[in-house]
Amino acid sequence: MKIRSLILIIVLIAVFSLLFSSCYTVRVRSVYGTPEPDPIGERMDYYRDMNVHEVDTTITIKATDKDFTLLIKNCNRQGIHTLEYRNTFRGILLSAVTFGKKRQVRVKYVCMEEQN
Amino acid sequence: MAITTTFDKETWDTLHNNGPFPLKKLHITQLEGSTNMPSKFDRYKDAATEVQRLIGIAASQNEGFRAYGARWSLSYIAHQKEHMHYNRKMNLHIPVLPENMEAGSLYKAENLFFFECGNTIKRISEVLFSHGKSLKTSGASNGQTIAGCISTGVHGSALDVGAVQDYVVGINLIIGDQPGDIVYLERSSRPALNKGFADTINSRIIRDDDLFNAALVGLGAFGFIHGVAIEAENLFLLKRYVRKIDKNIALQLADTMDFTNSSFKIPGETSTVGKPLIPYHYKVFMNPYIDDQQYVVELMYKKPYSTAYPDPFPVIETSIYRDLIYLLVRISEKFPQSIPWFIKKLEKSILPDVDEETLGTLYETFWDAPYQGPAFACSVGVDHKDASKAYQLLEAMTRKEGPIPGIFAMRFVKQTEATLGFTKFPITCMLEIDGVLWKKSEKLLSLREYGTKMIETLQANHIPFTIHWGKNSDWAFPGLVNYMFGNKATEWKQQRNSLLSPKMQKVFSNQFLKDLQLTT
Repeated sequence: MKIRSLILIIVLIAVFSLLFSSCYTVRVRSVYGTPEPDPIGERMDYYRDMNVHEVDTTITIKATDKDFTLLIKNCNRQGIHTLEYRNTFRGILLSAVTFGKKRQVRVKYVCMEEQN
Repeated sequence: MAITTTFDKETWDTLHNNGPFPLKKLHITQLEGSTNMPSKFDRYKDAATEVQRLIGIAASQNEGFRAYGARWSLSYIAHQKEHMHYNRKMNLHIPVLPENMEAGSLYKAENLFFFECGNTIKRISEVLFSHGKSLKTSGASNGQTIAGCISTGVHGSALDVGAVQDYVVGINLIIGDQPGDIVYLERSSRPALNKGFADTINSRIIRDDDLFNAALVGLGAFGFIHGVAIEAENLFLLKRYVRKIDKNIALQLADTMDFTNSSFKIPGETSTVGKPLIPYHYKVFMNPYIDDQQYVVELMYKKPYSTAYPDPFPVIETSIYRDLIYLLVRISEKFPQSIPWFIKKLEKSILPDVDEETLGTLYETFWDAPYQGPAFACSVGVDHKDASKAYQLLEAMTRKEGPIPGIFAMRFVKQTEATLGFTKFPITCMLEIDGVLWKKSEKLLSLREYGTKMIETLQANHIPFTIHWGKNSDWAFPGLVNYMFGNKATEWKQQRNSLLSPKMQKVFSNQFLKDLQLTT
């Protein structure tokens, strides 16, 4: 019984370690310019006071598709200030079981503030 | 036409979560687009008309009105419970041309720039960079708006420059909702821009040294700051050094500012006779909970600008889990004695790396400071000659009454001419403790109580002091403003009363001013 419990704990630790290590955030941020502010939002994370646009979708890629480009139109001419890509265990799992056909896309981005 | 969107709100908070505070209406004004209104002057005047309309609404309802920008102040100086106006979208830059200069002005047209209130320090620095210019100083970061900076006295640690307000040469104020209620203030002793310029922004010029100096650090009480004229200087580089030195030497430098005769010198930063040079910037970091015989110090030396220098930005930045810090703070509320331990553990994340050296512009050196979660900061200004004494007293008080989750630092600023500028001493030592916001518990005093203890400690030891307007304190402490500023506080109120009608004095008041007894 004790050995079973020990094995269960070890398995759980391994699963949690896998889950945590497979979740990560990569952020690309411009050194120049100012992120578009959000005077109404009350976020409490890295993006506090920033107007964040979020994309959370699953895309289908054909075997002949080399890449996938998402076109955004809400940054006007200012361009992007910050872009974040998040990888999760769920996303990795989805990609694995569909042999790469389905991909989870979780992206956040903040436009540059309009200047006058 | 500039458009204002008004939101019904219940609360408002600072960037660093020092509230929440009650609020009825939040107004956000968006400038007319340049496609429909190409002239910047027209867009600027159009925005002024819109702000006057909003002021008129507040006045007609016998309510208050207050502008805010990046909400970086940790005190409640920016808060108004009835009408708050978000001005960050009002961010025009209007070029100053030689024909805009007042005849006989001592300023050079090429160094003067006019910015609308909502421009941030970062944006202004970028505009100046494109003209080969730089701000003379900034705060430790760059997210504040120019109007917020001067209203609260934001400072860096530039020994020969002063605070942000000290390079402002003109202030455009909207002081009411009537025609003629837009004024452009300058010092009579140092005129900069002429009537022609004032006319183009629909303003009447008032040149008066006393009024200008009072309005300079105006605490949001002299009307709506619509724009400011600032004096920039040629681009320069800052060579930054971080060292760990004997604490007695670090404190002796603070007390004397005698860098030239100090035993501490940085190779290469010496005169032709081998004496240490006076730095542009000097900062000392102190952990109050360890008896370290050495302090980390940061020094910067001004260098001529050149295009070829190593990139001062790191390529990759990481941050520690904020949740971990929150957890530690929650633990410390129940077990305050754990605070010194976790500050020691976090020291590497809090303090700059020892022996670090960088070279960069002011813009690059005092760059973005990402949001790190709820924070507090208490900052007192003392004569630099009292720096070590004041620190030792406040350190002892913090150990006795706390501990609280923060560490101390000292920065040094040249004297300001602003009537209520807290950098009022010949060289002011800004002695500050910054850290993670905590909640009062049975074992830990509140932030306000800590602010009270700071005031009482300095008063009991007869150390003249001021407090940073944008930071945390016990602002309702009896007689505080008179203790700090004496007759200057009366002078400031007189100047305000001379500029604003009684009705507008009420409109541009808030609880912060009432607590300080600065409203009448």
